[in-house]
Amino acid sequence: MKTRQYSIKVFEIELVDEGKFIAFFEKNYQFFQNHLIVINGKENKQIKEYLNSKELKHVFNLTLPKRVSDKSVNPPVPTPRKTTEKVQTNLKVIDKLIRSGQELKIDGDLLLLNRVNSGGTIIINGTLIIIQIVDGSIRCNGNFMMLQASHKANIVFHDVEVDNKYLQDKLKKVELINNEIVITPVLKETSWV
Amino acid sequence: MGIVIAVISGKGGVGKTTTTANIGLGIAQNGKSCVVVDFDIGQRNLDMLLGLENRVVYDMVHVMDENISIKQALIKSKMSPNLSFLAASQTKDKSVLDSAKINKLISSLKEDFDFVILDAPAGIESGYEHTIEFADRAIIVVNPEVSSIRDSDRAIGILDSKSQKVKNGEDVEKYLIINRINPQMVQSGEMLNSEDILEILSIPLLGKIPEDKAIIDASNQGKPIVLNESSSAGQAYKRVSARLCNEKVDFVDVETFNRGFMQKIKEIFT
Repeated sequence: MKTRQYSIKVFEIELVDEGKFIAFFEKNYQFFQNHLIVINGKENKQIKEYLNSKELKHVFNLTLPKRVSDKSVNPPVPTPRKTTEKVQTNLKVIDKLIRSGQELKIDGDLLLLNRVNSGGTIIINGTLIIIQIVDGSIRCNGNFMMLQASHKANIVFHDVEVDNKYLQDKLKKVELINNEIVITPVLKETSWV
Repeated sequence: MGIVIAVISGKGGVGKTTTTANIGLGIAQNGKSCVVVDFDIGQRNLDMLLGLENRVVYDMVHVMDENISIKQALIKSKMSPNLSFLAASQTKDKSVLDSAKINKLISSLKEDFDFVILDAPAGIESGYEHTIEFADRAIIVVNPEVSSIRDSDRAIGILDSKSQKVKNGEDVEKYLIINRINPQMVQSGEMLNSEDILEILSIPLLGKIPEDKAIIDASNQGKPIVLNESSSAGQAYKRVSARLCNEKVDFVDVETFNRGFMQKIKEIFT
């Protein structure tokens, strides 16, 4: 007997409004090419046909085993803190211009004190903070990222493309809260009475 | 010991060869001995711009591969006794280049001249890598347009990783020349301004060269524009050459467009 074991990425989504659902996938379907889409809601023929046409693998209403730590092997899991308070993992501080054609792949967190030029790429699994403007492309899967990007940049946070127009004028913080991408300015504006 | 300067750009057609010819002659006019070497193996151009078109007998590949001495291959310029030229081969291609041979050639040129200027080929292939390999400094020529800037950015990245000096733990000095600035377009906001370019590439500025129609004629005639006292580009190259010879020359604003008298009157009525 031949067996194989896989780890796959699952994207869970609730089906409420058919139109909104299709609009969302119309915009983002490229990011889910390698995902299994689990749809919670009433099974729908039209949606099925749409997803098949985009060649997206999907199932309806599937309860998946979530990862549970095995206490006998692993040390006890610390109580989860708020995402932003998580301890840094291998923080790297780099003061180097990322030029066109250069690719920076980092497993931990990164503080970049220089700019990312058009054609330069940063791929990072941890938290990312960039002090100067980003013209290139960013793939970040960390807790949050803090950056300011020009209209040329391509920013992808947890496999979802972030619209640059929200990142343009100031240093912004991008984080994932309850599966939603939230963008807030880092410096609050003074409000005059 | 002379200084080896590579003139690079990444993108083609931005004015590397024109810049090489002009700063070579400019340095020679400043009283320093200078040799310009065409590294664009297979596509010889620099000889034409220097007015030495039909005087090439032996080229760089002859010196490296056969028993031709450098003295036999060097061509003295008619325009300045301080300027010499070493041609690229037109019959061979860049595959004949070899690091050890280039090192030998450049080392012996360094002994005889104050400045050795290498005109790099366009692109970032082996020909380019060989040009920057033994350079002490690099002059990056860009045009104020996005594609030129990105290609230069890439070329600088390669320079920073593949040059011999960097491998020895030293830094290659890099200077920027912004070529073909059209003041009218800069003022109307259609062309990138120098501050933006300097911020993106983050290397020091050596000079700004305004666009000048006289360059085309100068190239066709084989008389570098630096000889032309009335040309704005020629004067700009003169200032760049003086800066390379360690003279302190102030930067001249070439980005402000002086509107003519009639233009000003027209503007009043519109």
